[in-house]
Amino acid sequence: MSALALKPDNLPTPKDEDWKYTNLSRALGDLKSVPSQDVQEIVIHKTSGEVCGQIEDIMWTGVEGQHQNLRLKIVLEEGAQLTLIERHEGSGAYWKNMSTEITLGANARLNHIRIQDDSVEAIQTNMVHITMERDAYLNSFSLNMGGKLTRHDIHVVLNGSNIDCSLNGVTLLKGKQHGDTTILMEHTAPHCLSNQFYRTILDDAARGVFQGKVHVHQAAQKTDGYQLSNTLLLSPKAEMDTKPELEIYADDVKCSHGATTGQLDEAPLFYLRSRGLSEAQARMLLVQAFVDEVVDKVSDSALHEEIKEKAGCWLEDALKSDG
Amino acid sequence: MIEIKDLHASIETDEGEAKEIIKGLNLSIPAGEVHAIMGPNGAGKSTLAYVLAGRDDYDVTNGSAMLDGQDLLDLAPEERAAAGLFLAFQYPVEIPGVNMSMFLKTSINAIRKQRGEDELDALGMLKLIKAKTKELGIADDMMKRAVNVGFSGGEKKRNEVLQMAMLEPKFCILDETDSGLDIDALKIVAEGVNRLRGDDKSFLVITHYQRLLEYIKPDVVHIMADGKIIKSGGPELALELEEKGYAGFIGKAA
Repeated sequence: MSALALKPDNLPTPKDEDWKYTNLSRALGDLKSVPSQDVQEIVIHKTSGEVCGQIEDIMWTGVEGQHQNLRLKIVLEEGAQLTLIERHEGSGAYWKNMSTEITLGANARLNHIRIQDDSVEAIQTNMVHITMERDAYLNSFSLNMGGKLTRHDIHVVLNGSNIDCSLNGVTLLKGKQHGDTTILMEHTAPHCLSNQFYRTILDDAARGVFQGKVHVHQAAQKTDGYQLSNTLLLSPKAEMDTKPELEIYADDVKCSHGATTGQLDEAPLFYLRSRGLSEAQARMLLVQAFVDEVVDKVSDSALHEEIKEKAGCWLEDALKSDG
Repeated sequence: MIEIKDLHASIETDEGEAKEIIKGLNLSIPAGEVHAIMGPNGAGKSTLAYVLAGRDDYDVTNGSAMLDGQDLLDLAPEERAAAGLFLAFQYPVEIPGVNMSMFLKTSINAIRKQRGEDELDALGMLKLIKAKTKELGIADDMMKRAVNVGFSGGEKKRNEVLQMAMLEPKFCILDETDSGLDIDALKIVAEGVNRLRGDDKSFLVITHYQRLLEYIKPDVVHIMADGKIIKSGGPELALELEEKGYAGFIGKAA
């Protein structure tokens, strides 16, 4: 199976159930008619048992006026291990039309960290297809803070037993940014664990979308499937659309989903102020903690610090402009 | 010392009407003294604590609360803390994602800064935390946990007393610090409070039960009902109350 990039002559529209909150065609505007560049492809292939001590660091740069056709292919054969950091930057208006294909063999381990800091005029669509075999492990984290409109569309198929798959993300949007994360997690084999943990902070008139579905096939007994989406709204004009779904055909499973959207609670704010923190200081501490709980899923300490700092700068700016 | 005069405070009901909870309360606690307030549910005891600490769900319609010549009611909650007020919460708030040592560090330095003192450096902070946690029998690993998250009732209340010990307040309010504690936890918390007693500190201990007052001996006991102090006396008043129940007193006062 291969992950396919979107075709400009056959774009999804809000009439498609999966795309009802995200109008790609409208956001693309003139970029729709720009012919696509040649495929840029990065392939990372680790053979059986290959353990990479060094972090692989890749960067995708967006270029003004282009429709870029990006392909990332990661194959870890049985027992291979890798930590990958994938960075996104760029300037001006462009469309990164991307596909990502991740194949993890038996007992393979991948830590995948993604920092998406595209230009605020850019569009990024990333159609992700992940297949995992027995005993494989995936810990993925994405920081989504760039783009005019982004869609991170992740389809995971857990093909063997005893897989541990966690997808974590922090989305920070302001202005009129639109960020969409859509996940389909398919459990086809027994005794697997999947975890989705996403937190979003929206300022100004930004809009966030989180659609997450856990699909447990009949054969997938003893599945643990969890999903949590929490959103903080910093402005009355911000909007969050969440659609958590469970579809379960096995009878012996533990699954849960939860979604919250709201403002900072008054009780912890007052508690912190009663201990001497100014209102601004208390707010900053609370939003930072909200984000850090997800960032803490990044196990590499240098990357953990980098992401914390990047998110921290964003939060400071957002709270300053509100105060 | 703390001097509360003719305090009136109300809360907005769900129907949007103002409901008065504190109805002309007068209270004066000289420096160095411990006063207890006892009273039935709904008397306004916890509201009094929150109003003094500055929670903004309450509307103060009249009165003053002077702490060493400064009216607390004019100040923001954090300014009241810097002025020397400390409220030990009945229900300490959980703060996921903020660990104890980070919280204490931020709090202590925020207070020191407001008081015009130098901020403590990492080493100074570590020493202070070590010394105070040891006094209260708090395990080091509590400092790595998120504030109050997953703490037992006893741990939460000990944590309040720990903060009280670190922030060097002049006026401490203990809001039902005994609720939810077994007798061993109660003793530890009471010892922690007694260690802080001194000529320069005043305490207001809010409680339902006389039991706490066996461990934290008050100088004066007040009985509060319907938003006012209806009777004040020595420690013997608490015992009398235990015997007769609130009904006896409230009946007498009416």
